[in-house]
Amino acid sequence: MKIFLMIIAYIIFAPILGAVLSGLDRRVTARMQGRVGPPILQPLYDVLKLMQKDSLVVRRSQNFYIAFFLMFIIFTGALFFSGKDLLLVIFALTLAEIFFVLGGYKASSPYSIIGSQRAMIQMMAYEPIVILAAVGMYMVTKSFYITDIISYNKPLCYYLPGLLFAFIYILTMKFSKSPFDLAYSHHAHQELVKGMTTEFSGRSLAMIEVAHWYENILLLGFVWLFFANNILIGVALTLLVYFFTILVDNTFARVKWEMALLSTWIVGLVFGVGNIIVLFFVKR
Amino acid sequence: MHYDGTSCNGCDIEVLASLAPRYDVERLGVINTGNPKHADIFLITGSMNDQNREVVQNIYEQMPDPKVVMAIGICATSGGIFSECYNVLGGVNKVLPVDIYVPGCAARPESIIDGVVKALKILEDKKHKLIEMKLGREAFVIEPATIEDAAEILALQKLAYQSEAELYNDFAFPPLMQTLPELKEDFKTVTFFKAVINGVIIGSVRGRMKDDTCYVYRRIVHPMYQNLGIGKKLMNDIEFHFGFASRFEVFTGHKSKRNINFYERLGYKMFKCEKVNDKRHRVYLEKSADRI
Repeated sequence: MKIFLMIIAYIIFAPILGAVLSGLDRRVTARMQGRVGPPILQPLYDVLKLMQKDSLVVRRSQNFYIAFFLMFIIFTGALFFSGKDLLLVIFALTLAEIFFVLGGYKASSPYSIIGSQRAMIQMMAYEPIVILAAVGMYMVTKSFYITDIISYNKPLCYYLPGLLFAFIYILTMKFSKSPFDLAYSHHAHQELVKGMTTEFSGRSLAMIEVAHWYENILLLGFVWLFFANNILIGVALTLLVYFFTILVDNTFARVKWEMALLSTWIVGLVFGVGNIIVLFFVKR
Repeated sequence: MHYDGTSCNGCDIEVLASLAPRYDVERLGVINTGNPKHADIFLITGSMNDQNREVVQNIYEQMPDPKVVMAIGICATSGGIFSECYNVLGGVNKVLPVDIYVPGCAARPESIIDGVVKALKILEDKKHKLIEMKLGREAFVIEPATIEDAAEILALQKLAYQSEAELYNDFAFPPLMQTLPELKEDFKTVTFFKAVINGVIIGSVRGRMKDDTCYVYRRIVHPMYQNLGIGKKLMNDIEFHFGFASRFEVFTGHKSKRNINFYERLGYKMFKCEKVNDKRHRVYLEKSADRI
């Protein structure tokens, strides 16, 4: 029953919270740049507007993939917030991303194809760290189940500082923020137009937006696992991490894909694998 | 969305200034996008000429409805001091239906922002009109067209034949090349029917008698209203109008399988195929009156 309630709560509140967070993101970004910034609920207004716009497509099937993207993101979030297996969550999330990439390829515009290729490279870059994070959590708590991980008596960041750092490092990639907003981003329109989402409009673009809200909440949930033993402090620290990614977004220029891939792997190797090796000797 | 026609960059800088911290249009929720498919408002600075005409039209067509066109600066409004140049067509309204004019040389950021706010209002109105049109889909009426409808029918014809032109990769298609005086000339010899929803023409067909045969041609339906039976109703009405004809004849391109199927369902039979040019063959279909 409790699991069921958690899933319902996630499906209803995650997009609202996601919209507010992305509105806050735009407002904070504007303030960092010395501007006033849009209303907090602006992303919500945008999506409502998109629902009523005409949908222009290159191929009808591109919207089909986007529907699957949204569905699998919701499915992954439901798995996560009902406390299921962390590995399953990671793979389901990857599957959702793959549908998004397929949608980008299907639209067959040069910009969306470049965006999709870069998204694949990004997945190659961050996926090892995500899995290492799950492995690290398993080594500490001896379980892949999220219910067991959050009921561990100490905050996990105490054992996994390196992995936490590596995870925050790839978070900019997942949120598609500078310096890793290679695949699609509002700010990259000089080189990419709009990357993967270039050929989407109207309702399918609204679906992509909503899927991103769900995804952002899911990812922040993942960050929260690192501080999970005290709920309130955990949430506060997670929001701090979110604020930090906005700060990074506003301070760094976009890097090339080689740099994104290489630096992520180096960070993953040094901090991620290093953390796990240290943990192996400490916990023995 | 912002496109720079042949602007001297003065208005462009003012557009960018309204995005920057001092004026910050993002506080109204407006952002500058480089992608026409995500855009609602199309800002154009500078006058139109033969080179940028197609680009502007292309961008306009890539924007999803509802959309608003804003001409910024005096060059975009009327051509300004360049209006008499041999290469300048004039303001944006020579190419696109402009909703808002922001005059000035250069237009000040305050007036640009004022224009954007007015554009948001127009966008809202257009959205409601679009919803109404969608709701009114079934409520179309078919009536004879008069010469006053010529301009609207011509615009619809060019829109509806776009898909055919793409199919054959032949953009010198006669329906696309027809001019308004030619179409008005047609009204003397040809009977026009139009399908109307809420006062907007969304379909049309023409019929012409020669000897005992009624030649029916240029059956057009707005892309948004296809598959609703409007084409079929148009055919029925024109056949009824020419009830005294002993034979009806239609034609279509050889690759337009949908059209051929459509006519065959209405009882037409293919009887000859003629080569028009390298890209296109013309298929003729006929039906005798006793089969109606």
